[in-house]
Amino acid sequence: MAPDRTPPPEVICTGLAKVFDSGTEAVQSLDLTFAAGQTTALVGPSGCGKSTVLRMIAGLETPSSGEVQIDGAPPAETLRKAGLSVAFQDPSLLPWRSVRGNIELALSLARRPIDASAIDQLIALVGLDGFGDTRPAALSGGMRQRAAIARALATKPGLLLLDEPFGAVDELTRQQLAQDLPRIWEAQGTTTVLVTHSVSEAVLLSDRVIVLSPRPAKIVADIDIALPRPRMAEMVRETAATDLIEQVFTALSDGMAAADRPLAAQ
Amino acid sequence: MTSLTVESPATGQLRGSRATPWLGILIVLAGWELAGHLLTAAFVLAAPSEVIGYLLREWQLMGRALWTTLGNAAAGFLIGNLAALLLAGVALLWPRSERIVTGLALLVFCLPLVATGPILRVFFGPGSGPQIILAALAVYYTTLIPLLVGLRAAPDSWFDLVRSYGRGRFAALIHVRAMAALPYFFTGLQIAAPAAFLGAMVGEFTGAEKGMGVLTIRALRALDVEMTWAVATVATAVAILAYVAIGSLARRVLLSDPPVILATPQSARTQRTAWWDAVLVTLLALAIWTSALWIFNLNPFFAKGPTQVFDALFIAADAAATRATLGGALSETALFLIPGYLTGLVAGAGLAIVLVLAPALSSTAMPLAIALRSVPIVTTAPLVVLLLGRGATGTITLVAIMVFFPTLVACLHGLRQTPGQVLDVFDSYAAGPVTRLIRVRIPAMLPAFFAAARMAVPASVLAITVAEWLATGSGIGSLMALSASLSDYDMLWSSVVIVSALSALGYGLVGMIERRVLATYAPEQLS
Repeated sequence: MAPDRTPPPEVICTGLAKVFDSGTEAVQSLDLTFAAGQTTALVGPSGCGKSTVLRMIAGLETPSSGEVQIDGAPPAETLRKAGLSVAFQDPSLLPWRSVRGNIELALSLARRPIDASAIDQLIALVGLDGFGDTRPAALSGGMRQRAAIARALATKPGLLLLDEPFGAVDELTRQQLAQDLPRIWEAQGTTTVLVTHSVSEAVLLSDRVIVLSPRPAKIVADIDIALPRPRMAEMVRETAATDLIEQVFTALSDGMAAADRPLAAQ
Repeated sequence: MTSLTVESPATGQLRGSRATPWLGILIVLAGWELAGHLLTAAFVLAAPSEVIGYLLREWQLMGRALWTTLGNAAAGFLIGNLAALLLAGVALLWPRSERIVTGLALLVFCLPLVATGPILRVFFGPGSGPQIILAALAVYYTTLIPLLVGLRAAPDSWFDLVRSYGRGRFAALIHVRAMAALPYFFTGLQIAAPAAFLGAMVGEFTGAEKGMGVLTIRALRALDVEMTWAVATVATAVAILAYVAIGSLARRVLLSDPPVILATPQSARTQRTAWWDAVLVTLLALAIWTSALWIFNLNPFFAKGPTQVFDALFIAADAAATRATLGGALSETALFLIPGYLTGLVAGAGLAIVLVLAPALSSTAMPLAIALRSVPIVTTAPLVVLLLGRGATGTITLVAIMVFFPTLVACLHGLRQTPGQVLDVFDSYAAGPVTRLIRVRIPAMLPAFFAAARMAVPASVLAITVAEWLATGSGIGSLMALSASLSDYDMLWSSVVIVSALSALGYGLVGMIERRVLATYAPEQLS
C-alpha cells in the first residue's frame, strides 16, 4: 500500500472513567485492550456510554480518571500526527462542500496530499459513483453516512473509530458495506473500533465483540469471533455465526438483568 | 444563546412561485395610477405616470442627488460593516464579552437618529461626515446580530471533526465557523444595504447641501407633490434594488438563499444576570460617553456629558421646567406611538393568519411583503403624511406600517414552522381549520411574533421621531429638532438619553414578556 499510511497501533485503556459536569456517570473504571490491526466491536444498550469510550480514545473527550494509550502515547500524540479518523454517528458533512470537497477537506486538515483518483476510488467503493460533485443536502441519510465513511478512510488512518456508522443505511446496503468495507481497512491495516447496537453487524465485521452493561458501562462479555475472512453477508445465516450472535445476545440480556433492567422493561 | 432563524422564504414551498411577485407589483402600480388620477384635485398623490414625467424632466437634479447619497451610504455601509465584523470578532475571541457587546450595540442602535444627526452636524460642520456616520450607525447592528448567530450556527460535531484531524481553533474558524457564518453575514448585508441609504438620508436632513434627503426636505417645504413622490419612489426603488442585488449575490456565492433572521438571539440567562448586564452596559456606556468627550476635547457648549445632563434634568434652576417639557413631549409621542405599534403588530399577525388560511394569496403577498420590509420608512414618511395628514391618523399609520411588515414576515415564517406531524395528528381527529389554527398554528407562531415585537420597538421609535421631526411638529421628535435649531443642547442631550433609555427599556420589557411566553410554548428556544 501507499507509504504515507500510519501502521496500526495498539490501544490500551486503563481504569477509564468519565463523569460529566451534569453528574452523569457514563463510564466507570474500564480496562480495554484493542490489538493492533484488529477490528473490535463495542456492543451495548443505548446510552451505555460506548460512544463516550470512543470519544475518549479519539482524544475528543478527556477521561475523568484513568488513561488511554495509543502505542504507549496519549491520544493527543496521535491527533497531532492526524493518525486517526472518526466516522461520527451524525455524518457531519459540511453542507457547502460536495462529497469530494468533504473528503478533500479531511485530507487537507490531516495535511495529506490530495490524490484525485484515490478519492474517486473511495467514492466508488462506498457506492456513491456519480455523486462526487453532489452536495450533502441532495443525498439521502444513508448516502451521507457512506460519504462520511469514505472521508474517514481517505486519510488512511492507523486507527479507525466508527460510531454507529451504518445507522441510517438501509438493510441491503448495510450488508453490502459490512461485506466490502472490512477489506479496505484490512488492506490498509488499521486498528478499528466499531460502536454499534446491531449484534449481527458486530459479529460480521469484527475479530472480537465486547459487550457492555447499561450505564455506567462495564464489560459483560469478551467474545472472539473466529469466523474466516473474507466474510460474506450470507454468513450471518450460517450456524457458526448464528451461534456467536446468540452468545452476544445472551451476554447483552445478562448485562441488563445484572443491572436490574431486564430487556422487557426497556 | 439561541436564536430564531428560519429557512429563506424563496426555498421550499415558494420555490416554484418565483414569478408571482410581478403580479402583486402590477396590481399595486395599477391601483396607484388609478388613485393618482382620482385624487388629482387633492394634491396628495402623484400617479406613476406623473412620477415618471417628473423624473424625465428633472433627471439631472435627481441623478446628482442620488449619486451623492449613494456615495455617503456606501461609505457608511463599509464602515458600519467593518465595525460589525470587529465587534463579532471580539465576541468570538472573548465569549464572555458577547452579552456586553450586544447590550452596548443595542443601546447605540436605540439612539434617536433625529437627535444624533444635528449633534453630529455641529461636530462635523458642513460636508458629508454626519451622513456617513449615520449610515454606519444604521448598518452595524443589522449586520452584527446575524453574524453573531452565524458564528454559533455550526454544530459541535463539525468542530469534533476538525479536532479529530489534530487541528485547532484557527483551522475550525477558517473551515467551519467562517463558512457557516457566511449565509448569515449575507443576510445582515442584505438588510444593511437599504438601512445605510436610510441613514445617509437622515444625515442629509440635518442641513447637508445636496442629496436625496435635501430634496425630500425641499419638496415637503414647497408642498411639491410630484417631487415628494418622485424622491420617495427613487429612494424606495434603490432600497429594494440593493436588497435584491445582495440577495442574488448571496445566491450566486452560497448556491442557496440566505436565511431569514427574525430577531436578536434571546439568551438563556436568568433574570438576575440580565439586570446585572443592564447595569454593566449602562455604566460602560456612561464611561465611554464621558471619555469620548474628554478625548475629543469637544466644546462643552454643545457637547454635554452625563453629569451635565443629570444637572439639567434634576439640579439646575429650570430643571423642573425641562422635565415638564420633556414629559409633555414624551406623552404626546406615546399617545401616537403605542396605538401605532399595537395596530402594526395586530395587523401583521392578523394578515399572516389570513394568508395561511388562504395559501393561494400568500404566494403573491409574501415576496412583496419581504421586499417592502426592506424599504426604509423614512423615504415613505413624507408620503404617508401627505396622504393622511399631519395629525393622529398619519402618524399612527406610519408607525403601524413600520411595525407591520416585519411582523407579517415573521408571523408567516412562524406559522410555517408548525410541525407537520402535529397537524397530521389533528387531521386524524378530523379537526377543522379553525381548531388547527387556534390549537397548533398560533402557538407555533408565538416565538416569531414576539421576536418581531421586540425588534419593532426601536424601529417604531425611529419612525415616530422622524415623522414628528419632518411633518407633525409635535412630540419628542419635534422637540429634539427644535432644540437643535435653537442650540438648546441641554434639552437635546437630555432627550437623546431619555429616548434611548426608554427605547432600550421597551425592548427589554417585550423581551421579558417573550421569555414568559416562550417558557410555555417554545421551551427549547430558551435552553
